[in-house]
Amino acid sequence: MNIFTRGIRNTFRNLIRTFSVVFILGLSIGLSLIMLISRSAVNDKINQTKSSIGNSVSIRPAGINGFEGGGNLLTTDQLKPVSSLPHVTSITETLNDRLTSTNTSLQSSITAGSFGQRQANINNQSNTPGGNGGGRFGANFDPANFKPPVTLTGINNTSNLASAIGATNVILTAGANIDASSSSNIALVGSSLATKNNLKVGSNFTIYSTSIEVIGIYDTPNNTFSNSGLIMPLSVVQKLSSQPNQVSSANASIDSIDNLNSATAAIAKQLGSTADVVNSQTQLTNAIAPLQSVSKLSLICLIGAVAVSSLIILLTMIMIVRERRREIGVFKAIGASNFTVMMQFAIESVTFTLIAAIVGIIIGVIGSSPITTLLVNNSASSSTSVGGNFGRRAFGGASVNNLKQIHAAVGWNILLYGLIASLIIALVGSLVSSFLIAKVRPAEVMRVE
Amino acid sequence: MLKIDNLVRSFNSGGTEVNAVNNISFEVPSNAFVSIIGKSGSGKSTLLSLLGALDKPTSGSIIVDDTDIAKLHDHALIKYRCNTIGFVFQSYNLIPNLSALENVMLPMEFANQAKSYRRDRAVKLLNEVGISQDKHNRKPGKLSGGEQQRVAIARALSNKPKLILADEPTGNLDSENGKMIFNLLHKLSKSEKTTIIVVTHDLTIAGKTDKSFKLSDGKLIK
Repeated sequence: MNIFTRGIRNTFRNLIRTFSVVFILGLSIGLSLIMLISRSAVNDKINQTKSSIGNSVSIRPAGINGFEGGGNLLTTDQLKPVSSLPHVTSITETLNDRLTSTNTSLQSSITAGSFGQRQANINNQSNTPGGNGGGRFGANFDPANFKPPVTLTGINNTSNLASAIGATNVILTAGANIDASSSSNIALVGSSLATKNNLKVGSNFTIYSTSIEVIGIYDTPNNTFSNSGLIMPLSVVQKLSSQPNQVSSANASIDSIDNLNSATAAIAKQLGSTADVVNSQTQLTNAIAPLQSVSKLSLICLIGAVAVSSLIILLTMIMIVRERRREIGVFKAIGASNFTVMMQFAIESVTFTLIAAIVGIIIGVIGSSPITTLLVNNSASSSTSVGGNFGRRAFGGASVNNLKQIHAAVGWNILLYGLIASLIIALVGSLVSSFLIAKVRPAEVMRVE
Repeated sequence: MLKIDNLVRSFNSGGTEVNAVNNISFEVPSNAFVSIIGKSGSGKSTLLSLLGALDKPTSGSIIVDDTDIAKLHDHALIKYRCNTIGFVFQSYNLIPNLSALENVMLPMEFANQAKSYRRDRAVKLLNEVGISQDKHNRKPGKLSGGEQQRVAIARALSNKPKLILADEPTGNLDSENGKMIFNLLHKLSKSEKTTIIVVTHDLTIAGKTDKSFKLSDGKLIK
């Protein structure tokens, strides 16, 4: 029997009290861990959201939205100075084109449906000068058998591929990614389009009477439209579609969310009236506000739970020391030093807290995910999807629903923090009890005789 | 062995200084079996606390083997309590969640003795005081009052102290057990070559010791 085994054994001297203290302390430590995990998950999500959507600036030619509106496309020469502006880390330029059956061998994997047919009619009529019946899709246009065009996207930078094609995620399922700076006739093909046209890596198809080699196939989960597209190097699309140097949209990445507004203003000033330059600052602020509330709330709860845990062990140890005052006197009378007695009680306090920490970790692991989800859902329930079409462009397809999808992961670092916090709590409990122990004079043992 | 000189211990009680021990002087030779008698509140236990270094005197000196323990610092006092003194209390004061054997081993742990030595000596002492082997691992709650006091005596002897201080060692025992405990202390004072000072109000016991001091209102009555 030594001081450690004696301290540990003392923990179990009163089983009812041990169970009660461990249960209450365990709940408190569990709540602390849940709040720690929630805060960590929410902060990760905020940072992830900021880094993925928060620091981009959308640049569109003035008056143009996708394939709608009027005006002039931007040019690569116009955008060149933008990439050298302060805080602009990169710029992704895109040029979109729609390939009909007259200029590609590919068949769209999207069915026209009622929406497609209506749009085709409108486009055909609006493109029929003087009503000669030629129209955009030709004189023999038959709305009933209309096939939507294939969307071709030319890009100069594959680092933000998903954003460039309006998807949330792009997964390369076969082959390799394209070199966006290449002038070769190569393409990435959406998986639906590839299936529709029996394309594999190494297959060829034609656009504008030019043979194009498939070097990769991609998939955009939950995005049928993007899955039916083509991606090629920007310069190749500019050349084949006879739109030299032209760019239909661009996304500038800014080094920090803090510099977003100043960089947006600088880009707008650089491009003048030729472009609509917008950023996602306001939308981002609105979108992450509920998450920031949850983060603050969980921090307050974390501090509160740790304080309550400390108080529980503190009061428990004070109660135990007062109860064993006479025993402390006996220890001192038979030759124990203050340090020895303090250590014995400190070990008892640490044992209490470590057992409670194990209970708390179990509670934390079980409760962190549902409680985080509950907190986030309650806080974000008043928010709806952000920005509509703009939001989809500016955020690269993200919506507030994605912000609610928070994964509360219990990592080793969280468990380590929990254990360290528990030891600090035990230390707090031990310190005060040590002070009380030091004050017990050995003569106390005689006084109660 | 022990020389007390002009010992005073006063307490402040409601703004008035009360001398619980009032200018006491006496000497106790080595290996003597001495009793201190007196009525309740006469200052017996306070005197014992001072001799055991559980409390510090207001003035005067307590010389134990040429060392004035009244002038020792805290660390030296701990060593003194650990190595020179053995206590036997009226209500035994055994640690309730430790076995009889572990209770006897405890002072030796504080004296940094090796574990095997502690165990061997504790077993020997328990046997010596008449605790049978089958009761060595029993908790105090499972022992009778007489047996608990025997364990307490074994604990007091564990570090081979020069001085054993016993405060009313038979006070909680029936006459039969009280007599046995007294005889045990008497025997041990000879076999262990230890000075024993017993505080008691039992004149019969006091009459059987080598020397007896009587206290009244904190003063020694010759």
